[in-house]
Amino acid sequence: MQKTRKGLTPGLIAIVGFLTVCPVVMLILGSFSEGLNAFGTFTLSKYVKAYTDPAFAEILVNTAVFTIGSAIVSTVLALFLAYLNTRTNIPFKFMFRIISLIPMMVPHILFAVSWVLLLNPSNGMINLFLRQVFGWEGAALNIYTLQGMILVEGLLDLPIAYLVIAPAMSAFDVSLEESSKVCGASNLRTLVRITLPVLRPAILAAATLVIVRSLASFAVPSVIGMPGRIYVLATHIYRVVATGYVTDYGMAAAVGMSALAASITLIFLYRHLTREGEKYVTVSSRGYRPSVIDLKGARYPLFGIVALLSFVLIVLPVLVLFYTSVVPYSMVPSAKAFAMMSWKHWIAVLKDPVSLLSLKNSLYLGVGGATLGMILSFFVAYVIVKVRTKAAGFLESLSFLSFSFPGIVVGIGFMWFFVQTPLYATIWALLIGYIATYLPYGIRPLTSAFVQIHSNLEESSRVCGGGPFYTMRRIVIPLLIPGIVSGWILMATMFVRELSLSVVLSRPGTEVLAVQILRFAEDGLWGRLSALGILMIFISTTLVIIASRIGAKLTKVDK
Amino acid sequence: MEISIKGLNKNYYSEGKTIVALDQVDLTIPANRIFTLLGPSGCGKTTLLRCIVGLEMPDSGEIAIGDEVVFSTEKGIYVPPDRRGLGMVFQTYAIWPHMNVFDNVAYPLQTRNEPREEIVRKVAKTLHFVQLDGFEKRPATKLSGGQQQRVALARALIAEPKVILFDEPLSNLDAKLREETRKELRAFLTELKITAVYVTHDRIEALSLSDTVAVMKSGRIIELGTPRGIYFDSDRRFVADFIGRANFIEGKVASVGNGETTVDSAIGAIACEKKINASPGAAVTVCIRPEFIRVLKGDHKVGRNIFRGRVESLVFVGDAYEGEIRVGETLLIFRIEPTTAVREGEEIALHFDPRHCSILLN
Amino acid sequence: MKKLIIFVVLVLFAAPCVFAAGTDAKGSAGQALAEKAKAEGKVTFYANITSVEPILEDFGKRYGVKAEYTRLSTTKFIATIMTEHAAGKLTADVLQAPMPVLEFLMEKGVLASYTSPAAAGYPKWANKDGKIQSFGIEYAALIYNKELVKPADVPKKYEDLADPKWKGKIVMADPSSHPTTISWLIGLKENVIKSEAEWMKFLKGLAANKPMFVASFGPTPAPIESGEKLIGISMPKYIITKAPAPLDWAKVSQPMMGTPRGMAITAGAPHPNAARLFVDYWLSEDAMKIMAEKVGEYVLAPGIYPPIAGIDKAKVIPIRELSDDEIKKWGGEFKKIFAAP
Repeated sequence: MQKTRKGLTPGLIAIVGFLTVCPVVMLILGSFSEGLNAFGTFTLSKYVKAYTDPAFAEILVNTAVFTIGSAIVSTVLALFLAYLNTRTNIPFKFMFRIISLIPMMVPHILFAVSWVLLLNPSNGMINLFLRQVFGWEGAALNIYTLQGMILVEGLLDLPIAYLVIAPAMSAFDVSLEESSKVCGASNLRTLVRITLPVLRPAILAAATLVIVRSLASFAVPSVIGMPGRIYVLATHIYRVVATGYVTDYGMAAAVGMSALAASITLIFLYRHLTREGEKYVTVSSRGYRPSVIDLKGARYPLFGIVALLSFVLIVLPVLVLFYTSVVPYSMVPSAKAFAMMSWKHWIAVLKDPVSLLSLKNSLYLGVGGATLGMILSFFVAYVIVKVRTKAAGFLESLSFLSFSFPGIVVGIGFMWFFVQTPLYATIWALLIGYIATYLPYGIRPLTSAFVQIHSNLEESSRVCGGGPFYTMRRIVIPLLIPGIVSGWILMATMFVRELSLSVVLSRPGTEVLAVQILRFAEDGLWGRLSALGILMIFISTTLVIIASRIGAKLTKVDK
Repeated sequence: MEISIKGLNKNYYSEGKTIVALDQVDLTIPANRIFTLLGPSGCGKTTLLRCIVGLEMPDSGEIAIGDEVVFSTEKGIYVPPDRRGLGMVFQTYAIWPHMNVFDNVAYPLQTRNEPREEIVRKVAKTLHFVQLDGFEKRPATKLSGGQQQRVALARALIAEPKVILFDEPLSNLDAKLREETRKELRAFLTELKITAVYVTHDRIEALSLSDTVAVMKSGRIIELGTPRGIYFDSDRRFVADFIGRANFIEGKVASVGNGETTVDSAIGAIACEKKINASPGAAVTVCIRPEFIRVLKGDHKVGRNIFRGRVESLVFVGDAYEGEIRVGETLLIFRIEPTTAVREGEEIALHFDPRHCSILLN
Repeated sequence: MKKLIIFVVLVLFAAPCVFAAGTDAKGSAGQALAEKAKAEGKVTFYANITSVEPILEDFGKRYGVKAEYTRLSTTKFIATIMTEHAAGKLTADVLQAPMPVLEFLMEKGVLASYTSPAAAGYPKWANKDGKIQSFGIEYAALIYNKELVKPADVPKKYEDLADPKWKGKIVMADPSSHPTTISWLIGLKENVIKSEAEWMKFLKGLAANKPMFVASFGPTPAPIESGEKLIGISMPKYIITKAPAPLDWAKVSQPMMGTPRGMAITAGAPHPNAARLFVDYWLSEDAMKIMAEKVGEYVLAPGIYPPIAGIDKAKVIPIRELSDDEIKKWGGEFKKIFAAP
């Protein structure tokens, strides 16, 4: 066993390193070189220019508030939902899975736009409503603020947090909680003193992921932040890139290095805080039957909150999308708008060969990319959890490398890298780029799941005569099915809506959905954009349903 | 099948510190016997077991199972656990929660691609042997602790291994079930004529189950013998203390006579009928187990191995009274039949059985 | 300005001759080119302009040569082309981008010389060094919601936008970063508003009206259509592409301005003949008509206008091309001006 493990680590470091380090190295080279590509003469001027900008301090503060705020919003919501779902007798539990998944399928730019339609200070629907009902003057609520950005980004990243926290919550050894209650602690006290601390690795993992993701997020900062003139790192980089025609991505990379440094620090911190992984092995084969807390009178009020959340997260954006796809142009709902509804945007999209090709490519990339990505994530997570050497920690940090770079910049890094290879301008470049960038989406749910498999289960198989690969196939993988399904769904839905890499790497024949959507957005064609967005949600939903079905079938004990 | 272990070393490194788990262990485990590794937690017994089964890689040394060397640093041999053909029952049972009882038990045969009918037959036979007939279709996690334990045993036995290893398999069961299972296990293992290596920190398990007991401390085997031998004849205080309750009385050898040694101690002279090789004047410790201290009713004078003291405490434990008695400054524990009429605070006389007074070298 | 009008008039007269020449070319040399292009099979087109699929389709139908189109936004244009060029993997045959971008690429030796016979009727300034041909102007104007803005309120001149009545009702691309908006504001100074002081007064007034910033022109029409904002600095072509949205342009007395859109053939074009054929077709009256009518673009082909009321009467002038340093400098200036309370 030891031998196989020893061989595995350097092999994986080589693969993951190749995937993630190459583009980042190109960016580092670019940030230090004169001129526009990665191989100019050495210069420090780009750093000097980037970090002596007087506006930079304010941008850093905004960025910190924005990312940490979003992480708090999504982690707290995820904990709340996961707890209600796994530990209480709240009604209609199926809703939780839906809540956790839908926001991953909605293109972020559309989600942000639908919130603008609701909460903009001029004629946001909620503001209009408040004005009419309460006679409030002016704008009661303004989306174009830091709070608005945090709210929307927090909601968008909720699925990431939920998918990391929920499995840990449901696999929790209830006896830990029971013993607390025996000691006289109330449900609430037990939650605060026992449940949350024991779930610390999952909570920290979720918060880390959200911070890193919101650091790289562009949709919310550009759609909501820019009109409110609130700049964060991603929009600052955009400004650096977009001012003038001769865009200096080396300079953008130099700015991006601070995001990279922040992410690496976070990951290091996270590893440090969860170092005693063995302490948190909470599942053994003894079987667990989580006791359900009776919410009594609070059952329906709490459900009301969940219902409201699902309304905000699912019904609203989808409704707004659908509405936008049938009205001829952006209009506030009115009798006139309803009179003018038609299917013309849908027809235009379904007749557009590039849109159809992009549907096909995205589907292929979603399914193929997520499958290959999960295979790689599986081995990486295995090494991270079960080997836990210095090299394993290194591997974990590597896997986060391109993920933690702001999207606009990492795309250029991949372009600089792929153009040196024969993969350039092929769909394989997209596939590899996706996997490399979003590897943490596969690794995180799997490490959470791995941590909870007692090593005896695996060892027992070895003693019974199962070789390392037989053991993986029969024991480890089946026990990981929930984690694998979560990771696959995260990856597949991400790949179906991936934009920042695709926009740089896609070429004729390799168009993908998000790029097509962006084209519509740049032309201001919101109707077609929404129609294609709904098709995108439909594809993702289908993938999720199929994956969940297969997962459920595989985890059933009696065949 | 005999297991022979030569010069086994294993260190762990944790946060800059080196922890010695196995320190130059040499051991021969006889074939077709029940062999127990006994010791407190952290003594290296589980590490030794895991080295035998192949889940841990020793730093140096050699392990042979029967004629086959399965590990040797000198010869560069390491046979992975799946090719050692052993059976093992884990402390956690390691029942796979995603499989039913049949698949759990059939697993070792499935790894060998045995024909389906053969597997069905053998599983039925093995489940019958562990008294779980008809449990095939049950999900493994829905079983009680004792049933899970038997599934784990069935799984370890089904491939008819030459050696079966147990890592504290009874520690998760309640007391009564533990006792029953222990007896059953002994019966199973005796019937099978199999080499069994059993790791435990429970002395009763070790004594009642084993043919041979090895006591471990700090990565070394410090005593090896039959349960009786270890219990009665150990001349190490650690072993005597670990294997059962005992009184230790410090003293000096006064005289060495004909099959009898007299030790001067704080409570008086103690006559011991155990052979020792200490000369008069040597500092020694006399060990007497509570069950060999007899309470003498009536007005006995202090005499040969008779001491007087006051009963300090008395606890009724069902099959006996366990109590403490103070002789001078020394507090001794004793155990008497529940029918004996002794009260707390009473002055009584005690008698040490000289045949069970052993002398430990300091 | 006068010269331009005279030129346009001249061109209108000369048009029949040009068409004659065009047909002639198709007759002999053009025929040969078309055949060579067909042998090459396809042409790869990297462009910054959007919604041009109908033109590509028509080209394919006409000549049996497939036109593959890659949309590159302005921010990624030079980075992508230079990366591919440096690695010897530039797959594009024809490039289309704002003039400054193409000029930069010309300096770097990426472009080949080609003067299309189809551009004979185009203004002289539209051809640069025999390598870049301008075919249209990415024109900007004041676009407003015609349902919500009373005709009397529609600005008569650009300076009206600084009127406090528009406070909180304006949308525009971020003037600290969006190059076209920066150039447009500079164009106002250089071509429209007489004195620098007045120009500055206009800017300050505009800033005081707290316009909402978006990333580029693309997102400008949506808030106007929905009524979130009433007016914006945007592109008249949205009146066509977003019909029936209630958009119209303020027919100010001053000229309309925009950055020229150029196109060129790459130096190492993998399909050189198809590239030429494509450029010839692109500049032809037929293609330009599609562009004006379907996409609402302002084209330089004589006598062709987008079907927007009043455009044919309007003066449309190319803005002086600003160097990147100028854009960055002014971006910084505008950042300060618009940040002031």
